[in-house]
Amino acid sequence: MARTESKLDSHHAYRVIPREEILARLHDPALLLVNVMPKETFETGHIPRSINLPVAEIEERARQVLPDVTREIAVYCAGPT
Amino acid sequence: MGKHAVGLLGKLGYRNLRYYIGGMADWIENGGPVEKVEPAAAPPRSGQNIQSPISHTSWTGFLDLLAGWSLERLVGFWLGMILVFGLVYWGAGISMGWGLQAGNVAVKPDLEGLATAIYFSFVTALSIGYGDVIPLGALRILAVAEGIGGLLIFGCVISKLVSRRQEELTAEIHRTTFEDRLDRVRTNLHLVFSDFGAVQQLQVEQGSLPGQVLRRLESTVRVFRGELQTVHDLLYRSQAVPDEEALESLLANLVICLQSLVELSGSRPKNNGESAALDNGLRAISNLAREICGECVPRNYAPALKESMDQIHELAGKIG
Repeated sequence: MARTESKLDSHHAYRVIPREEILARLHDPALLLVNVMPKETFETGHIPRSINLPVAEIEERARQVLPDVTREIAVYCAGPT
Repeated sequence: MGKHAVGLLGKLGYRNLRYYIGGMADWIENGGPVEKVEPAAAPPRSGQNIQSPISHTSWTGFLDLLAGWSLERLVGFWLGMILVFGLVYWGAGISMGWGLQAGNVAVKPDLEGLATAIYFSFVTALSIGYGDVIPLGALRILAVAEGIGGLLIFGCVISKLVSRRQEELTAEIHRTTFEDRLDRVRTNLHLVFSDFGAVQQLQVEQGSLPGQVLRRLESTVRVFRGELQTVHDLLYRSQAVPDEEALESLLANLVICLQSLVELSGSRPKNNGESAALDNGLRAISNLAREICGECVPRNYAPALKESMDQIHELAGKIG
C-alpha cells in the first residue's frame, strides 16, 4: 500500500529546495514562500516574505491565496516531518 | 506535514512546487532571518507614542540583507559607496561652490580635486579622519552618514571573514565524523549479515531455533534496526550527502541483510510469546525499510541507487 502512495508522490512531482537557495533568493519575487503551519505557529516566527497557508486550509483557500499554478512555490513547515 | 501539504498542492494542479525539507527548525538552527508577527498592540491613544513598526522592520531588513550578501558583493558595495560619496563631494564643490577644503584652500573642480575627494571619502569611510581635507557646510552631514555606513558595512565584511574560517572548520569536523559514522554503519551491517548467516546455519542443523540462538537473533536484529535507522536518517534528514559509491555499498549491504532476515523471519516460531522483542524489532525494521524507496526519499539519486532502494522497500513488505 505504501508503494501506491509513493507512486502518487511521484505523479505530483516536486523538487527539493535547499536552505542556501532560499537564503540566496530571499528577495527574489519569483519565488513564493509558503508556510503551512497553523496561524499561531506562523506568527511566532517564519521565513521573511512567507505566506501562511495552514495545511488544513489548503484545499479551501489555495486557489485564492496562490492564484497562479505555474508560480515557483517553496513549501515548508516546522521541520522534516 | 510539509510533504503532505506539497502532495495536496500537487493535486490542486500546482506545477512548480519546491519542498524545503528542513523547515523552520533547520532555518533557525542555521541562523536564517526570522520574521515575526507582533501581537496586535492596543491602538495608540490620541496619536501619541506611535512606534513606527515600518522603519523598525526595514532597518533590520537592511541588516539581514547585508548579512545575506557574499563577501565579494559586500566589498564591492563598500568600494562603490566610497566612490559615489567621493563623486558627490567633488560635484558639490563644482555645482554649489562649497565642497571640500584642503589646508584653507577649496578643492578645485579638476582631476586632482576628484582624487582628493575620493581620498577624503576613503579616510571618512574608514573613520580615520586625518583632518587634512575637511568638508564644509552640508557636506559635513553627508560625511558623518558615510562614516556610519562605512563602519557598518566594514563590520559585516570583517564578520564574514571571521565566520568563513569558522564555517570551514565546522564543515571539516562534520565531514570527518560523518565519514566515521558511515564506516561504522558499513562494518555493523557486515557483522549483522554474517550473524544472520550463522543463525540460519544453526537453524538448518537443528531444525528449529533454541532459546539461545533466538537471543542471539534478537540482539542482531536490534543492531540491524539501529543501523537501518541511521541509513534512513541519512536519506531523509542529513544535510551532508555521502558520495554515491559509499551509499551504493551501504544500500547493497542493507539489501542482503534484509534478504536473509526475510528468510529467517519466515521460518521462525511465531506467536509463542518468547519472541516478543524479536517481533517488535522486526516490525520496526519493516516500517523503516518501507519508507526507503527511489521515489519517496527527498533527494534524487542515480537509477542504480533507486533500484536498491526499491528493493529494500519491497523486502520490507515480506518481513514477518
